[in-house]
Amino acid sequence: MNLGLVSSVDLVFEMMDVGNMKLQADELRVARGGKEILHGLSFHVSAGEVYALLGGNGAGKSTTLLSFLGFIEPTSGAVNVNGQSVTSNLTQARSAIAYLAEAAKLYEHLDARENLTYFLQLADKQVDSNAIEAALDRVALRGDARGQRLKGYSKGMRQKVAIALAILRDTDILLLDEPTSGLDPTAIDEFHHLVRALADAGKAILMVTHDVYGACHVADKIGLLKSGNLVGEFTAEAGQSIDTELVHRAFAQKDAP
Amino acid sequence: MSPVLLIAKDEWRYWLRSNLAVYSALLFLLLLVVTSVITVSEIHSKAQHLEHDQNQAEEAFVDQPARHPHRMVHYGHYVFRTPLPLSLFDPGLDAVTGKAIFLEGHRQNSATFSDSAASAELGGLAWLTPAVVYQLFAPLLIILLGHGAIARERESATLMPMLAQGLGGRTLLLGKSLALLAAICVLLIPMVIAMGIAVANGALFSASISLLAIYFIYLCIWGVLTLWASSLMQSRATGLASLVSAWLLFSLVMPAALINWVAKQHPMPGKIETDMAMLEEARKLGDGHNANDPAFAQLRAQLLEQYDVENVEDLPVNVRGIVAQYGEEKLTKTLNEYAQQQAAGEARQAQLLQNMSWLSPTVALGLASRAMAGTDLHHYQLFLKAAEQLRFDFVQGLNKLHAEEVTYNDDVNKYGSAEQQARARVDASNWRLLDEFEFHPQGTSARWGQSTVTLAVLVVWLLGLTSAMFFQAGRLQR
Amino acid sequence: MNLMANMRRESTLMLRDRAVIAWAGVIFLLAVYAVWVGMAEVKQQRESITWLLQQDTLERDAALTHQSDYGGVAYYSFHLTYDEPSNLAFAAMGLRDETAWKHRVRMLALEGQIYERDAGNPVFALIGRLDFAFLMAVVWPLALIMLLHDLKSSERVAGRYNLLVATAAQQSALWVSRALLRAGLLLVVAVLPFVTGALLSGASLLAIVLVLAMVIIYAVFWLLVCYWLASWQQPSPTILAANLGVWLLLAVVIPLAGRITIDQLVPLPSGSEILMTQREAVNDAWDLPKQDTFDAFVATHPQWQEQAKVGQGFQWDWYYAFQQVGDQKTQALSDAYRDGRLHRHALAGLVAWVAPPALLERSMQRIAQTDLKSVITYESKIREFHAQLRQFYYPLLFGDGAFDADNLQQRPNFSLTHSNDS
Repeated sequence: MNLGLVSSVDLVFEMMDVGNMKLQADELRVARGGKEILHGLSFHVSAGEVYALLGGNGAGKSTTLLSFLGFIEPTSGAVNVNGQSVTSNLTQARSAIAYLAEAAKLYEHLDARENLTYFLQLADKQVDSNAIEAALDRVALRGDARGQRLKGYSKGMRQKVAIALAILRDTDILLLDEPTSGLDPTAIDEFHHLVRALADAGKAILMVTHDVYGACHVADKIGLLKSGNLVGEFTAEAGQSIDTELVHRAFAQKDAP
Repeated sequence: MSPVLLIAKDEWRYWLRSNLAVYSALLFLLLLVVTSVITVSEIHSKAQHLEHDQNQAEEAFVDQPARHPHRMVHYGHYVFRTPLPLSLFDPGLDAVTGKAIFLEGHRQNSATFSDSAASAELGGLAWLTPAVVYQLFAPLLIILLGHGAIARERESATLMPMLAQGLGGRTLLLGKSLALLAAICVLLIPMVIAMGIAVANGALFSASISLLAIYFIYLCIWGVLTLWASSLMQSRATGLASLVSAWLLFSLVMPAALINWVAKQHPMPGKIETDMAMLEEARKLGDGHNANDPAFAQLRAQLLEQYDVENVEDLPVNVRGIVAQYGEEKLTKTLNEYAQQQAAGEARQAQLLQNMSWLSPTVALGLASRAMAGTDLHHYQLFLKAAEQLRFDFVQGLNKLHAEEVTYNDDVNKYGSAEQQARARVDASNWRLLDEFEFHPQGTSARWGQSTVTLAVLVVWLLGLTSAMFFQAGRLQR
Repeated sequence: MNLMANMRRESTLMLRDRAVIAWAGVIFLLAVYAVWVGMAEVKQQRESITWLLQQDTLERDAALTHQSDYGGVAYYSFHLTYDEPSNLAFAAMGLRDETAWKHRVRMLALEGQIYERDAGNPVFALIGRLDFAFLMAVVWPLALIMLLHDLKSSERVAGRYNLLVATAAQQSALWVSRALLRAGLLLVVAVLPFVTGALLSGASLLAIVLVLAMVIIYAVFWLLVCYWLASWQQPSPTILAANLGVWLLLAVVIPLAGRITIDQLVPLPSGSEILMTQREAVNDAWDLPKQDTFDAFVATHPQWQEQAKVGQGFQWDWYYAFQQVGDQKTQALSDAYRDGRLHRHALAGLVAWVAPPALLERSMQRIAQTDLKSVITYESKIREFHAQLRQFYYPLLFGDGAFDADNLQQRPNFSLTHSNDS
């Protein structure tokens, strides 16, 4: 049981393999509506790693995520994807990322297959129907539901289609925005298995969540975000998951005046 | 405070805090004020000009020197169409119909010189009047104000808690209706002012009030339609889109499309076609200029017998004048017959349009509004009739002078020496026989009579939509 | 990825959008209706002219049988003039409901006749027809607004915006192809009936292409406006209201302000002025010495100096001379009326550059020859024809020859052709 609380981010940079760095935020500052939301955020996600950004409402989690997608431009600092600045290489950055939005919204009047086909074409990705079926198998979407419009889907089923899309995009990087909110425990469990498997297959996964338990369960690394500051980072040793209690305590400590 | 009032008050507060509502209301007000000022000043100066022209025409006629009466028949007279007071709100057909008619013997001329044909051509919507602003754009404002009434509560998820508190769906809708009703009343304030000005300028008070009532009903139709759609649609956006689509179809497309339909269903021969058919008949009657025309032989024989003389020269009256009187009367009868046919054709088209107005309250309102303002087809036809009556009266008056004041011998030699010419003239004081042109618009009850169908259309639309809205309101609770 | 692939992908999605299908259907039906009724109207006007031409000849021949001198023949012979609808008139009826396109004139003073208004039911002129020009200029942009205002905001509300943008290989291609497809579909369904109608009507290819080019430019203009507003990060209702505001400004406010300003700026002699002057001139002549009339007549027609002699009693040559002189006295006013209208028309043309709906309608009316210029061309054709009539009759009236009906064989006939018809 070797779990370290890294106080200095600079230390982390020295330790990691730069070639594997898929996502990287460096002294990232972001302002919206004249108010600074992120105050110099630095962290990175490497290939094969699940990074959970944890924090309460308004901590700046989604802002961080959207910065990687280039929706929000940093006021200073850098956001890099595959070692290249997002700002100057927007198209490459986005094509390297599969994004799973909060409460996955797809086209309600299309069925699962049609949605997947549409979004894959949109991403300019050639995928045959067998691959689509395989992906839907992998997320365990019921066969009889695949031809039905999303209108009648439950939240969990929609999430499965969205994940299938992320899988089919076959990108090196996955950004997941509150992927488990509103799902039932079984679905969450299934989802975590899938995320783990994807990371093990070499993908870099950045997950934004306020679900402490889930984050600890699946992540290799956890960043604690509070009011736009990264107040702490935890890493798990190989084969071990992070101790929930510890994160809770760390959170509480930082919260205490 | 009762829940209904509370809801209404809250809706107003929402509007006053919403940029969309405030700006669109301001834009509407601006449009209304500008068109009102323009229309009032245009109508005012036009009325002055036309009245001046009318007086001048009358003076010119009366001031003519001594002449042969038949010369005055061809000198003729002009009548001008001065706008009625309510046309400062709804000028209706005034802009597209002729302003002046030349009245002379043996002919019924058409009204010439319409404003629209001589104006800068920038499309039909460049002829915006206060009435059109209310017909076309007030509904749009009502839609912008009211589309969110229920839908926004649903969107912000306040609808269910409200209903869960025990507030009835009908109470909710009643409150929203009250708010929109108040907005409609505010919208109508400029119109009330316009009606006041019109009444001060001599408009019928009852007609002005009726006009106001018609517009009130019309705006309520849109208000109810808006609230109904708002309670039916899941989101503000779809509600607004559907309502604007309905507005586009009912208010912009339907009127023009119905005109196409009417023109196709009841094509009407133009005046020339009618003239052609008529000329054939008139020729059979003989030419009033030529007293030797065989058609008048019988008349001549009758006269000779009546006065027991051998030759027309010996008659105590001038046979040419008698013939002219007789010819004018016969001809006018035919002319009127055809004019009536023409008017009936137009009226048939108007009737079809009225019946088709069940498809669009905007069309119904337009027709009812023009009828009430006295600027509709019917009043235009009344004007033509009054002008024709004046024409016939003065022409026959002159023909009578011709028969009684000019002897046959003098008449025959009227192109002779200066002295002979002078003897064929009658004194200038005779020209006072010309009556002043007076046009009597219909009374209010007759105008209501003109609008029975269109008023029924408006009332039925309002009742139908109100029931639909309250039915929907009852379903909100489920 | 090229635009074509984008288009293919988006078109399958669009064709499942009920709002798009509904609006495309509505515009298609309206276009078919407008073209169909427009063609029926043109056919009717043509039939009316054909019938009138027959009646006109019969009527003139009948009038002739009673007459024994040229003066009487000229007095009783009306001549039909007409402005036949062009082959494209079905698409833009323009002023044909407000102004006369048929006139019967005779050799009396023309100013007293030319302003007669044989137009149809004034209610038609007031409300206006749903012709293709109105459909394209006024209704079409609103339909486009309905389809494009929530191009982006609807995706935002549905929570798909970020996913779409993040997924799209080319972001701009996504929105551009969506907007283009919607506008394109709406344009095609509107234009197809027009082209069909134009081909059936035998309009010249050049005119059709010209109209198409204008319509396409117009559509692109509105596409740009809508696209620009759709990018605004506001809820759909606000964007829709803004769009309607732009439409209101361009289709209503600017034309209204333009018309009022121009009408104020360019005064016209009032109709009553023209009519009264004309009447006074013609009627005063009865009381003036005949020589005065002949003098004024000979001043413009010196070739009849020898023949214009005062005689005893009524003289037809003197009668027509004072009709001519009456026209001459009104000429300045009449020219001012025509020039004033043309000036207003020209200024309105300038204003139309900042009011595209008016610009499109005016341009289409120009091509369809139903605008003011065509009305005035028709008027000048009537004047020309009337002058020909005078040229024809004057030698007979002023000459000494005995009446011979055979001489009337050479009487001129009115004709008018349109340049744009194939």
